[in-house]
Amino acid sequence: MTNRLSLCRWCLGLIFACLVPVFRTDAGEAIVYSHFANAGPLNPHLYSPNQMYAQELVYEPLVRTGDAGDIEPALAERWSVSADGLVYTFHLRDGVVFTDGRAFDADAVVRNFDAILANRARHAWLELANKIASYRAVDDLTFELTLTAPYYPTLNDLALPRPFRFISPEAIPANGTSARGIDAPVGTGRYILAESRLGIHDRFTPNPNHWSGAPAGNDIVVKIIPDPMSRAMALETGEIDLVFGHGQISYDVFAALRRNPNFETAVSDPMGTVALAIHTGKSPTDDRRVRQALQHMVDKDAIVRGILLDSQPRADFLFAPDVPYADVGLVPYAYDPDAAGRLLDEAGWHRRGNGGFRERDGVRLAIDLVYIGNDAAHKALAETIQGQAARAGVFINLQGVEEDLFLRRQRDGDFGMIMSPTWGPPFEPHTVLGSMRLPAHADFQAQSGLPDKAGIDRDITGALESTDETDRAAAIDRVLTILHEEAVYLPIHYTCLFYAHRTSVLAGVHFAPGRTLIPFEDFRKPGSRP
Amino acid sequence: MIRFIIKRLLALVPVLLAVSVVVFVLLRTGENDPAMSYLRLSGIPPTDDALADARIALGLDRPVLVQYLDWLGRAVRLDFGRSYVTGAPVTDHLLHYLPNTLYLAGVSLFLTLALSLPLGVAAAVWRGKWPDHLTRLLAAVGVSAPSFWLGFLFILIFSVKLGWLPSVGIGGPAHVIMPAFSVALMSMCINMRLLRGGMVAEMSSRHILYARMRGLPPRVIVGKHVLRNSLIPVVTAIGMHVGEILGGAVVAEIVFSWPGVGRYAVSAIYNRDFPVMQCFILMMTVIFVFANLLTDIACAAIDPRIRLDKGGNA
Repeated sequence: MTNRLSLCRWCLGLIFACLVPVFRTDAGEAIVYSHFANAGPLNPHLYSPNQMYAQELVYEPLVRTGDAGDIEPALAERWSVSADGLVYTFHLRDGVVFTDGRAFDADAVVRNFDAILANRARHAWLELANKIASYRAVDDLTFELTLTAPYYPTLNDLALPRPFRFISPEAIPANGTSARGIDAPVGTGRYILAESRLGIHDRFTPNPNHWSGAPAGNDIVVKIIPDPMSRAMALETGEIDLVFGHGQISYDVFAALRRNPNFETAVSDPMGTVALAIHTGKSPTDDRRVRQALQHMVDKDAIVRGILLDSQPRADFLFAPDVPYADVGLVPYAYDPDAAGRLLDEAGWHRRGNGGFRERDGVRLAIDLVYIGNDAAHKALAETIQGQAARAGVFINLQGVEEDLFLRRQRDGDFGMIMSPTWGPPFEPHTVLGSMRLPAHADFQAQSGLPDKAGIDRDITGALESTDETDRAAAIDRVLTILHEEAVYLPIHYTCLFYAHRTSVLAGVHFAPGRTLIPFEDFRKPGSRP
Repeated sequence: MIRFIIKRLLALVPVLLAVSVVVFVLLRTGENDPAMSYLRLSGIPPTDDALADARIALGLDRPVLVQYLDWLGRAVRLDFGRSYVTGAPVTDHLLHYLPNTLYLAGVSLFLTLALSLPLGVAAAVWRGKWPDHLTRLLAAVGVSAPSFWLGFLFILIFSVKLGWLPSVGIGGPAHVIMPAFSVALMSMCINMRLLRGGMVAEMSSRHILYARMRGLPPRVIVGKHVLRNSLIPVVTAIGMHVGEILGGAVVAEIVFSWPGVGRYAVSAIYNRDFPVMQCFILMMTVIFVFANLLTDIACAAIDPRIRLDKGGNA
């Protein structure tokens, strides 16, 4: 009898626990955001697992990218560039201190550059890292950077979220390099990493001594939620205050939130392009007419409506027209299945029988399309393109592969077409163009069959090193025109960020320039301190 | 009994060795390339030079047997290397997440037992009546519903609609209720049906008939004679439930953003983070094997015939 009573007590206790309203984690006045992983060790000079949004919060650059894509002062109040484009002189902001109390001065800049360039090979993807000849502190508040050759995007590269950001010299290990870690995440930024609980959350508090003198805002709690659907549920239940960025929630969830009057939502300007790179050196896409036919046979508007649910705009060019130097007056390829058919006929690929795939000399017109197999968004795009191409008589052989193999095939040029998203601002166009010269990149492999690939690379180098604005624009114009006319890329849609939050929970939410910065300092919870 | 336990413990050694070989070899077959994974996760462009350097740094330029023995030597000292993603020691991270998973699995196992036993007994005692029909319906639903679906359904009802329970993360007791129920439901239903079936069969046996004829009260017949004899298959099933629960916990940890080893391992699998995958699989093997061992010991304790060896010695 005693056992039975005990069992009953357990059952009743359990049921009671289910019915009792539960106290939620009280984040106070904090803005609760979510991310798929912790902020990481927050080394400003290194990459994954350091999360870029968090690096942006804690560390600052000498200059930053403004709303219009122009360069604005940050830790440097002003700067000058020598006539030959080789020497950059930065006049640092006076009175800036790191959050450990150490002054930010030219010595701190030098010691950060020492730490970064001690690991120069790691930053070789960034042209600026390869072009630095020397640097020195002219005086306490003047820093001078000398390049081996002119490089017009120097300031753009310095504005990137990493690696040219500044940590307190006291937090750089005694060996002077940050390549193997830092002692503590101490920056000059708007926020301080106050707490990090692995797999649970990070908490950032406002930096009360920030040089801007702006009033301290809310704390930020970043919950670790890897799954987009769970994140959507957490937004719905109020356990997080907002989603912000790309890929945080699925397109259909975002579409539902847009229809919900309780939520405020917005879509940013284009922040990159999802495109297919088409191999110009491999049959059958070594024929320009086949590549151009591919451009005409894909109905991007249908993709935008059916898959992207109108949350991302159609892309006609490799770079969105608002990217610097990218609006060069190109004529988009229209969706025109008849034109696609004509081009394929001209190229000798004819239909055999009703509705069959085209053939030439007994060989079926087949193109491998390589994408990362577990990327649901890319998989949906690839399958749709396969269906649309089939109607034009082209067999698209879908090859969803693991990420390692994807990289290998990209590097080896082992593809007919391959998913090749661009990096978005602030990396466009200069970093993306620069990477086209590197054989490990899909762009290089895709362009390798073009008759004047060497000329394209020369133009890119010329553009990056030109000190003349007109020459630079002309060189980029030539590159983009050739790539468009040769139909090397099949742009599908521009990537836009989006945000969503309950109208009653947050105010002042807006996008920042670039896809990595979240301007939390401007967000407010109604009723919290100004 | 002690001899029985020692024998079973010794049998674990070849099992674990075999698993370690299979894990090591499987992860290196096909198109998997740890050096490529390392470069990708470190954000380093995979040039030929970088790949060659990575192979040397990771020791992949040595013969596979040497690599295996080196890995095994470090593994027995609980050194599984560093994660390609975070650069942190794998053992540290897994030990950080393991208590959360054990907490979730423990609560799930408790729910499995606490609910399946009374419901199974009730179904058997009131066979053919409404408690039996109700538990059968519950069993059909519980066994058929995948745990991720149940998880999202629970969130929809108890978090979104009713606002009673938090939908993500770990914290107070409230956080564990939905994940634990979604993990436990299937095991609970299987257990319930096993117990019911066993008890129904037992009730029609002769010794129960004699017990009734002797005029023993029903609760003594059910509690002492029917239930105890029906428990062996249930105890055996509990060993399997440990596996089910740990497997279900992986899914629940994703759905409920529960910071456990399952979520960590899924992320590692997604990223091809080889050191983490190896450690996770080996750790899960150890847990499974020990769960089975405990089950065998429990069965041997309940039924003396099990612990007798061929010579009839205990």
